[in-house]
Amino acid sequence: MLHLPYWATDYLKRAEPRLKENPLALYERIKGGLRLAALDPEGLQNGLRLGQNLADARAIWPALTVLEIDRPRLETAFGDFADWHSNASPLVSVMTDISRFGDLVLDITGVAHLFGGETEMLRTLIIRLRKLGYRVSGAIAPTIGAAWAVSHFARSQVVEDDSFAALLDALPVAALRLEESQLLTLGQMGLKTIGQVRQYPRKSLHTRFSQILLRIDQAFGAIEERMTPRLPLVDHLVEQRFADPISLMDDVLRTTHDLSVKLSKTLEAEGLGGQTFHLFLYRVDHKVMTLSLNAGRVTRDPEHIADLFRHRAQRLETEYDPGFGIDMVRLAASSTDRLDAVQTGAFSIEEGTEDIARLNDRLSSRLGPLAVLRTEMVASRLPERAARLVPTQSGQTDAPIAAPPLQRPVKLLPMPEIVAIMAEVPHGLPASMVWRGESFRLVSGQGPERLGAEWWRKQERLKLVEPPKPKKPEPGEKPVPPPYIPDLLLFNPDAGTRDYYVVEDQHGSRFWVFRQGLYSKGNRPIWYLHGFFP
Amino acid sequence: MQAPERQQRLAALRDTIADIERKPALAEAVNRPRGEPGIFPALPAGLVQEVYVDGARDSGASLAFALTQAKSLLTARRSTIYYVQLADEGKHFGLPYGPGLHWFGIDPAKLVIVRVADMTEFLWATEEATACRAVAAIIAEVKGNPKLLNFTASRRLSLRASANRVSLFMLRYGQRRESSAGHLRWRLMPHRSGRHAFDDRAPGAARWHLRLEKGRIAGNQLDWMLEARKNGFAIFSKPVGLGRYQAETPLPGAAPALLGHRLSQAS
Repeated sequence: MLHLPYWATDYLKRAEPRLKENPLALYERIKGGLRLAALDPEGLQNGLRLGQNLADARAIWPALTVLEIDRPRLETAFGDFADWHSNASPLVSVMTDISRFGDLVLDITGVAHLFGGETEMLRTLIIRLRKLGYRVSGAIAPTIGAAWAVSHFARSQVVEDDSFAALLDALPVAALRLEESQLLTLGQMGLKTIGQVRQYPRKSLHTRFSQILLRIDQAFGAIEERMTPRLPLVDHLVEQRFADPISLMDDVLRTTHDLSVKLSKTLEAEGLGGQTFHLFLYRVDHKVMTLSLNAGRVTRDPEHIADLFRHRAQRLETEYDPGFGIDMVRLAASSTDRLDAVQTGAFSIEEGTEDIARLNDRLSSRLGPLAVLRTEMVASRLPERAARLVPTQSGQTDAPIAAPPLQRPVKLLPMPEIVAIMAEVPHGLPASMVWRGESFRLVSGQGPERLGAEWWRKQERLKLVEPPKPKKPEPGEKPVPPPYIPDLLLFNPDAGTRDYYVVEDQHGSRFWVFRQGLYSKGNRPIWYLHGFFP
Repeated sequence: MQAPERQQRLAALRDTIADIERKPALAEAVNRPRGEPGIFPALPAGLVQEVYVDGARDSGASLAFALTQAKSLLTARRSTIYYVQLADEGKHFGLPYGPGLHWFGIDPAKLVIVRVADMTEFLWATEEATACRAVAAIIAEVKGNPKLLNFTASRRLSLRASANRVSLFMLRYGQRRESSAGHLRWRLMPHRSGRHAFDDRAPGAARWHLRLEKGRIAGNQLDWMLEARKNGFAIFSKPVGLGRYQAETPLPGAAPALLGHRLSQAS
């Protein structure tokens, strides 16, 4: 856990060196008044406090520089800052219980030895940040709650398993991540430290302060607290650091190629292949750019992986912004699965499926996954629902549904178009049609093929049988409650019914038209053109 | 005696021309499709065919014509047909419809639909697919005459198509013909359909009048009257007058089209 109490002002000072000359305070509009929302330590030493009126603060210290706080900007900046810490541990998240920025949680399980032990790791991280001008305190502890408490209310240290109960007991109750009102109540009860709260009978606390008990349990490890890492979790990764930052897209792509060769070797050693690949670019100014993409099938072919990133990169050229340079590139694979090496025999018949999967990968890496589609059948009678287009990259399909052997057009309009159709008699074959400003004389036709509306998909009430008339209750008998009728429109089976016709004009062009609704008194159904026959 | 000598001389002349152009002789391995009178020839893989119809109302016919040919090109090695279309033209021309393909005799799983945003991506996607040797055929649908799809672009496509033996069908619309390096250019005109076996008022099997506007099929036949059957085409009558199309038939190609024609035929 790293705690950066003055992160907002430190960040602004780092971004604009001009601000370093004078003490800085950020204010915020709360209920019509201007209140201080963030301060640097010089301000605190000189009698300013958070939540103070801006005018008072200026009176106390005229040299103060004040700026309005821009919370969304600070939050995104802190997010980038957190991502940059993934060079220390892959699991990083921002703790937003008390403040939207300022608290970083790193899961260092199995990482500390890379830095030479936990103490050394904490020291490295803290010194690294202090050199950048951030005031920071940190703690390493067995639970997230304990680390938070120690980093906020004690000196930076590594808390060992055996000593941490004693250490926590001595800390004030504010170290339990509680809200203001709860802290006030605890103060009125005379409970100052965590130890005192723990000695208080648990039963009587439970009714009023379940939140406090939860926090205590979390801090002492009785309840497990989870963190949600900001960056995607990866199983296998390779990385390349640079002494001099690189910035050209070509250099990045070349590095990606080298890394994919490495990654492929790592995967091969374990007999695995990946389906999702992530590229992380760590910028010098503590931002991380990520690019993730999917392959159609599990692969570990380095050329293919590099190609996928190259195609995507060509499309993203305008958005690519290396800033002052990139000092680390990391390539990772996730969604890994078994992929055994295959020996290609001299006499086996070549199959085209692998090449097709590759082509689909290439196409969708450049055009976007929604541009490369295949047809999936759906069990429905409505033509527009009977088939839907799904991305080829969307993974395995369910068992395919066979299309019913019905006469259907080879091309379907995504939106049926309204046409004006004249027929000799209301239910006869259409005789003429006007479509897109052109009139067609229809000489032959086949139909109707009647398709009912799918009542089970309508948000409407179905009337099946007449409800029985309410009987008068006999004396001594309870009255029967009337049946429940939902507050929905009554489903009208006629309005949604379609009659489909195959029609041909005098030159031979063939269309699929339908009439929505049935002819009845006061109802004029509308005709639509839905598809084209060969 | 005379014929071999003449052929040798022709070959020498071709080499000379290639030298002048400072590039190797055009590597188009596609032979001129053979044809016999009375049947529609089975066209070999690797051809670029443009299929022109008058408007969106016949888009189903041109798609069916391309699909019937593509179906015969499907093998275990070449298992997929690609269909490329600009995303915003789908609303105008419609999209290939799975159950309809099934009715037509093509497994919808074998058709991949690529919807691209603009013409640059269209050409890129078409060329990428043409370069893949596991693709049986590509059906690309274009509205009007986009500037980017010029002679150079179509020349690139036709070279790739014949090198990889992938057939490319360009479904085009309208009356205007621009120069292109396609091997064959068809004009498809629908014809009144045949008799339905059980219903006199219903349309029967689809019939088309096809006219070859560019390129040659051995036998020099230019007009075919075709009927679409489950397993290919059948000729249902001798070519007759063009009906309403007679008056509107455009001039047989502009000068650049002739130039393109000659280039694509040199081999």
